[in-house]
Amino acid sequence: MKDYFRNIYQAIVTILIGMGVTFRHLFVHAVTIQYPHVKRELPARSRQKLFVNIDDCIGCFQCARACPVDCIMIETVKAGKDEDLGETSNGQKKRLHVVKFDIDMAKCCYCADCVFPCPTECIYMTPDYEFATYDRNSLLLHFAKYSPEQVKALHERQEKEALAKAQAAKIKAAAGTKKPESET
Amino acid sequence: MNKSNLPPSRFELEVPNKLKTEEMTLSMGPQHPSTHGVLQIILKTDGEIIDSADPRIGYLHRCFEKHAENVTWHQVIPYTDRLDYIASMNNNLGYVIGLERMMKLEVNERAEHLRVIVAELNRIASHLIALGTYGLDIGAFTPFLYTFRDRERILDLFEEICGARLLYNYIWVGGVAYDALPGWRDKVLQFCDYFLPKIKEYNDLLTFNKIFIDRTANVGVIPAELAINYGMSGPGLRGSGVPYDLRKIDPYSIYDRFEFDICTGRGEMGTVGDCWDRYWVRVAEMYESVKIIRQACEAMPDGDAKETVPRNIKVPAGEYYMHTESPRGELGYYIISDGGKTANRIKVRSPAYSNLSILSSIAPGVMIADLVAIIGSLDIVLGEIDR
Repeated sequence: MKDYFRNIYQAIVTILIGMGVTFRHLFVHAVTIQYPHVKRELPARSRQKLFVNIDDCIGCFQCARACPVDCIMIETVKAGKDEDLGETSNGQKKRLHVVKFDIDMAKCCYCADCVFPCPTECIYMTPDYEFATYDRNSLLLHFAKYSPEQVKALHERQEKEALAKAQAAKIKAAAGTKKPESET
Repeated sequence: MNKSNLPPSRFELEVPNKLKTEEMTLSMGPQHPSTHGVLQIILKTDGEIIDSADPRIGYLHRCFEKHAENVTWHQVIPYTDRLDYIASMNNNLGYVIGLERMMKLEVNERAEHLRVIVAELNRIASHLIALGTYGLDIGAFTPFLYTFRDRERILDLFEEICGARLLYNYIWVGGVAYDALPGWRDKVLQFCDYFLPKIKEYNDLLTFNKIFIDRTANVGVIPAELAINYGMSGPGLRGSGVPYDLRKIDPYSIYDRFEFDICTGRGEMGTVGDCWDRYWVRVAEMYESVKIIRQACEAMPDGDAKETVPRNIKVPAGEYYMHTESPRGELGYYIISDGGKTANRIKVRSPAYSNLSILSSIAPGVMIADLVAIIGSLDIVLGEIDR
């Protein structure tokens, strides 16, 4: 009987103590942010959307190799002998046309492993987090600045050069193999 | 079913006219809020009393171990984040220290201190989730809001130092990914000052609430011997009164330099090893974590935390088992290397998996409502169990 009333007493007292805590919180500012209207500023390091400053990209594939989920797709074409592609902002010479630099943000795991190996610091994560879309294909970000016609032309040139090189190598090889033939 | 075969239950139910109740099979989960993820438990019940509980896992299997064999050593770190996704820093730490010991790599002092600070902050964040959701399981909604409010502050600190809020990829082989910005240490100390009075709030709201005590004390008692036999670790084992904490017993990183106590359950509200004890160990551990964070913040030297990060990770052939104390218990990485670019095999010893395995042996004889309390007190994370 004594226990019965003590239990009731304890239950009421401890609930009142808890109520006291919640009551005190009635008079403090709410921690909730009214999101679409009020936006919290994210820290500069915040890892959200990837961004590539394509003018600085030298097409070295370091980021694509570092990515654990293979979401970076790069395609390059060698520059011609008398073609000057300019320099990156930290003074490295660009030798490749980066004809394709796609990042699939749907695959990205936001680990920022691609950011650190970049020799020209041209790929980095930005605090921009509002890129939800209705279509999954629009999560595929294209950074390369070449138009399809330009890419086609570059590829054709590359193929032509490769063909010419292969022919030259063939002639050279044929010239090279003549000697041993004559010896035997 | 013969009544005498039933295990002794907490409530001896008086059945009028000795009516036999039919055994019912009940599938709890995998979409059940109190199973903390996608856990399914096949319950055989005799009325309200559980006859047997059979946990079914595997709904969240993501092939971590196979992935780890196919990506380079460094690329495994983002995958370790996703094991125990509410204590990612601790997961990073275990894997990275394992690799460093294989490579015999010395780590920068500042990086070591930063690692301890973030790991302990993450431990607090993880325990806050455990506390809040435990209250939620039992029917107390308010503490959940309070703990998440304070967890948010920890996540803000993490966002500032590494840019991510949940999956950090922060602790790297040889150091950390980002050095702390000036002023970050003061913010951590401010958080410690802010946080300690809040623990009293949780105690007032939940810990010493009579209804909460009645729901948890003397429920799901795990004797120390049983806990050890099942390989339990972490707050689950310490709640049973076994002072086993790897930070003290087998210190890694620089934990041997700090003063803190191992918290164990003493059966203050009921029996040693009941749900309340396991809950209380988590509350007490938050105090200890704050102690460690303060000491580490004061001892942290200036310098460059990224100094000792190697460009290429070359792990010599061999094998190593590294175990660390994650918020859920002993997290082990068994790493086998053949000296190549990728791991030959990485086996993870997941603490939550061992902790969950005890369920089928303590569940018989309790009410269904108490099973929810038991699962909550084990604080499992399915991402780690299924990997």
